[in-house]
Amino acid sequence: MNALPAPTAVIADDERLMRDQIIASLKQAWPELVIVGEASNGREAVAMVQSEEPDIVFLDINMPGMDGIQAAKALAGQVHVVFVTAHDQYAITAFEHGAVDYLLKPASADPERVALTCERLRARLKQAPDPMNDLLAQLSQRLGAGGLKPREYMRWVQASVGANIRMIPTSDILFFRAEDKYTRVQTPGFEALIRKPIKELIDELDPDEFWQIHRSTVVRVDAVGEVSRDFRGRQIVHVKGSAEKLEVSRTFNHLFKQM
Amino acid sequence: MNTDQRSPGTDDAAETGKSGPGSRQSGARQTLQEIGDGIAAAWWRFFDWLAVVSWKKLLLVSLLALILGGILKHPDPVFMFIIASFIMKAVAGGKRRAELTASAATMRAEKEQLERTVLEARMEALQAQIEPHFLFNTLASIDQLIQTDPPRASKMQQSLIRYLRSAMPQMRDGSRPSLGQQINLCTAFLEIMAVRMEERLQPVVSVPEGLKSAVFPSMMLQTLVENAIKHGLEPKPEGGRLEIGAEIVDGQLAVHVLDTGMGFMPSAEAGVGLANVRERLKALYNGRAELIISVPPAGGTCATIKVPYEIAPASPPP
Repeated sequence: MNALPAPTAVIADDERLMRDQIIASLKQAWPELVIVGEASNGREAVAMVQSEEPDIVFLDINMPGMDGIQAAKALAGQVHVVFVTAHDQYAITAFEHGAVDYLLKPASADPERVALTCERLRARLKQAPDPMNDLLAQLSQRLGAGGLKPREYMRWVQASVGANIRMIPTSDILFFRAEDKYTRVQTPGFEALIRKPIKELIDELDPDEFWQIHRSTVVRVDAVGEVSRDFRGRQIVHVKGSAEKLEVSRTFNHLFKQM
Repeated sequence: MNTDQRSPGTDDAAETGKSGPGSRQSGARQTLQEIGDGIAAAWWRFFDWLAVVSWKKLLLVSLLALILGGILKHPDPVFMFIIASFIMKAVAGGKRRAELTASAATMRAEKEQLERTVLEARMEALQAQIEPHFLFNTLASIDQLIQTDPPRASKMQQSLIRYLRSAMPQMRDGSRPSLGQQINLCTAFLEIMAVRMEERLQPVVSVPEGLKSAVFPSMMLQTLVENAIKHGLEPKPEGGRLEIGAEIVDGQLAVHVLDTGMGFMPSAEAGVGLANVRERLKALYNGRAELIISVPPAGGTCATIKVPYEIAPASPPP
């Protein structure tokens, strides 16, 4: 028996009490396992696994800096991974089909489950660690951690209002209008200035939420009250909550074509 | 209500023409356009006036115009114009009435929408009140402390009980919650989180005793505190400070939650939490309350809720 070196593990969780608890549960279920290090975030975990070269790493999914899934990606194929989570239904479904194991917090509540995990790990230590490609892709998608994510549009505009910097939710904004060097942000209650030109802004805003109607004007679609024509046939947008009238340039006339 | 909105082609549009893309027009054309815009503006103003003016006043003005026409010895065109005005008034008056009905209907629909939102928000608050993640993690921490530090385990369990107790009755009775109740709830929550996060969370609650009896809506402060931890401090490896403060500003009660965490992400989805707070404030105070998210000079995030300052009636003993 002494011919085999003792198996080693690193525990990563941002809460010390949680690490202590996993260590205590493991001690009972698998006394031979040697804990060679503890990490409090994903980055530390990756560094520690690379320096200590343990057989197993227990990774909490929710960790600051770099989460458990990103850490697992960085460590794929180098170490056997067990994910630890308190309550992530998506993650659990994903694990159940995967080659990698998971533990539910609190581990102490279910010693049999911990024992089962240890048994599986003992068997798997003889093989090379699984690269977990499919599982990680699936997890990233489900938990939105890194990897493939739908495009994120601006939901808040950081703007100066007087001497303060405020975060204005885009749902409060009636329209943006270019003014000299600045862009004016108009809400029903106040106006603010930002430096970002309309040209850049339009790329960051959700095209379903905001429409550009003029080279210098972007309006929130839901804020449009009515569209009328002036005597020369130009379309004029009236915005709910503001007396200002916004001209639609010909390039954007098609936006308000009659149904 | 919207007489202004019905007059297109007025000064604003003319200004846009000047500063907008069409500015490379020749001077002559521009002058013509301005004259055109002026006439159009005057015409629409007259039309609007006609639509809203009372028949009595219109008669009086017509009489004056006729007399003026008589003096100038051209009563015929004036008379024609007056007849035309009366016809237009008849037509435009109908349009105006239709508009009023339409705007009343819109307001009714908006009110109903708001009532629905409040109901939904209340349901959601009921369901989402105690996040399972939080509960499981806290129980796991208590379990660990029972092994290693029983007195602390007991203290944490008491905090959890206080938290659960103060979180529950708020939704049941319709009584108006006070700021003090909300602070107690948040303090219990912060005590729990401080045990779990250790030095990564430094909570500071500085609310003057005198303000604790003020009326403050339920579950809003809690949302701000949870956000500050979840999005501000937990994702930051070294953690930071979380401060709850309250003051009276211009007759309004302003309660803020400030954290020195990650800072606000402009692309962050408004989130159910903040959106709920905004909707509920709108429904409860009808524009007299607001939620402001600002960026403190030192970084992090500061969320402030401003509501009208009122003293809560003393709550009956349980």
